[in-house]
Amino acid sequence: MTGAPAPEAAVPAVTGRGRRLPRTLHPVAWWIWGIALATAVSRTTNPLLLFLVLAVLGYVVTERRTDAPWARGFRYYLWLALTVVAIRVVFRCVFATGITPADHIMFSLPHIPTPHWYAGIQLGGPVSLEATLSAATDGLRLACLLCCIGAANTLANPKRALRVLPGALYELGVAVTVSLSVAPQLVESVQRVARARRLRADGATGLRALRSILIPVLEDALERSLHLAAAMDSRGYGRAGTATRASRRTTAALMLGGMLGLCTGVYGLLDGTTPRALGLPALLGGSLLCCAGLALGGRRVRRTSYRPDPWRAPEWAVALCGVGTAVVLFLTVGYNAADLNPSLYPLRWPTLPWLPAAAILLAGLAAFAAPPPARTPAAAPAAPARAAAPTEKPSEALL
Amino acid sequence: MRGPRTPIRTARRGGRSVVGRATAALALAFAAVCGGLTLGAAPAAATPQPMTACTTTKGVVLAVDFSRWGGPLLRSCGTTPTTGYTLLNQGGWATTGTQHDGPAFICRIGYAGYQNGKQYPTSKDEACVLTPPATAYWSYWHADPGKNTWSYSQLGAMSYHPKPGSVDLWIFGATNIAGTQGRPTFSPDSVRAHNTPSGGTTTPPAKKGATTGGAGAHTTAPPVKPTHRAANTPTATAGTKSAGPSPTATTPSASTSTAAAPATPGTASPTGPRTQDAEPTAAAGHSSGSVLPVAITAAVVAVIAVAAALRVRRRRNAGHAP
Repeated sequence: MTGAPAPEAAVPAVTGRGRRLPRTLHPVAWWIWGIALATAVSRTTNPLLLFLVLAVLGYVVTERRTDAPWARGFRYYLWLALTVVAIRVVFRCVFATGITPADHIMFSLPHIPTPHWYAGIQLGGPVSLEATLSAATDGLRLACLLCCIGAANTLANPKRALRVLPGALYELGVAVTVSLSVAPQLVESVQRVARARRLRADGATGLRALRSILIPVLEDALERSLHLAAAMDSRGYGRAGTATRASRRTTAALMLGGMLGLCTGVYGLLDGTTPRALGLPALLGGSLLCCAGLALGGRRVRRTSYRPDPWRAPEWAVALCGVGTAVVLFLTVGYNAADLNPSLYPLRWPTLPWLPAAAILLAGLAAFAAPPPARTPAAAPAAPARAAAPTEKPSEALL
Repeated sequence: MRGPRTPIRTARRGGRSVVGRATAALALAFAAVCGGLTLGAAPAAATPQPMTACTTTKGVVLAVDFSRWGGPLLRSCGTTPTTGYTLLNQGGWATTGTQHDGPAFICRIGYAGYQNGKQYPTSKDEACVLTPPATAYWSYWHADPGKNTWSYSQLGAMSYHPKPGSVDLWIFGATNIAGTQGRPTFSPDSVRAHNTPSGGTTTPPAKKGATTGGAGAHTTAPPVKPTHRAANTPTATAGTKSAGPSPTATTPSASTSTAAAPATPGTASPTGPRTQDAEPTAAAGHSSGSVLPVAITAAVVAVIAVAAALRVRRRRNAGHAP
């Protein structure tokens, strides 16, 4: 931004009334924010901190989500999170292991005796409060992780996020983009067919209704894919470029070797029993090979991007909000590390470490750091606006 | 008019449900946490006993080796039937599980009469969040009555029911999965109770110097390893002193013969740790903590939820404005 004044620089970030101009934040900024928050969550099982994270996620999503189809999905992530917690708790109740004599027993399930040689697993029996709470907090942590990724998914435009992929993965990115847009398009298709059926006063239910919905939807899907394929073909997608057979093979070999190195390196780092030489060196070697493969693969096709996403102060602020939280929870400086993982044995109220709590609230500042999202004008005749919004032109659907 | 209106209505319901359901879920979880702390505890069946109550056929000897931290090998006695876990959580003993595995995994062990009940390994050495590595953990060994070899426990402490007259041993260190490496360096007979089986049924409550008093009923030192003297040889318990950690202890005194090893020169074994008897003491009490942090968090979460709800309402109103 230090060079010639970019055309965007002329546009004031804040309008006269003190309201910032709506624009979409760089998707990578939201992803950094979400992943950093997920990393922070993985450090703690303190239910108070986890509830704070959930509240912050909910607030930022409400504040900064767009009206796009993928931006309406946060509630499904919340349901998924609730399911995770419920499954955890139910399993812990049924396989009631780890009940200590000092536990607070809430109720007893019918106990199915297991033979002596199978003593490790118990079916049914007393359900203690401690075990249930520990299962719930453990589930809550996983739920929070899911919601962090869900929030990033909701806030960031997946199609624009795929634009930052390296050139070598371009075809992969196109495939992912096309598949990503299938689900919202199907939903929209079903809604459209249902509306048409209502207009025709088609009151059929059951199997006949299914047929009268399914066939138009499938036909719609097929037609869309044909249109998409034609549009892509006319824009030059799927062309191999100037790559020779030898260069393609070199790229493939480099990528395969790099991936092998990465896998071995991660395994070596995480498993304490493997020789030390397997960990970091293999990881570094693998990433080097991968980078070389990506660079070589990216050289064969030259792509330009139309309307690139800018990376300005709000992007920095959002990313730093998330990373700051993760750093505070990983450094464990200035507070007691045991507060991050409070023990339920013996049962006691969890404590709230101030620094991590403040750091999590700091991540919530992303709601203010990010500019307001560009919304489709919610005009009074809502139906046409909604019908128009999700139907993308092929060029938009493809990065 | 019905057709075009429907999407608006569904959209509105969706907006309310996100916030509403999230709030409901939070409230439910808080209620579960709050309601739970008022329930009563289940009674324990097995009871701790003074070391004199354990014989070669009755009671279970619990031995825990603190030599890694410069401490003694502490011995206790408990009644059967019991589990390895109960034995390790009575009479002043306490354990901590891991966050990942729950209390069934013994991550820390502490005894109220040793270092004021401090549990080892400390949080500085082991966070007890994930399962500790096989290179540094409390491994669990049994010696059945009459046997002089240790066997690595094939069951967890909660699933294992020690036989009367057997020895349960916990040592800290490294083993392999099969338990063939990292075996204890001393024999079961050096920690086993050698009191005669006849006398021990109704042992009077431990009085001052209970270990010395009970020493009369002891047989001689283990014949297998005579150099490996234990606290139950009469000479070794000369320096018994009271080390009651808590004034509210129900037993009259908590006798640990802390001065045993230096008081008896010439009996120190080059391999094994010094053995001391850990008499039953009252467990260190714990507070249930303060409700304040929970209340503060609830308030903050409520404020954020209200802000989100206001935002949703404002946006909806803006959408309805012409």
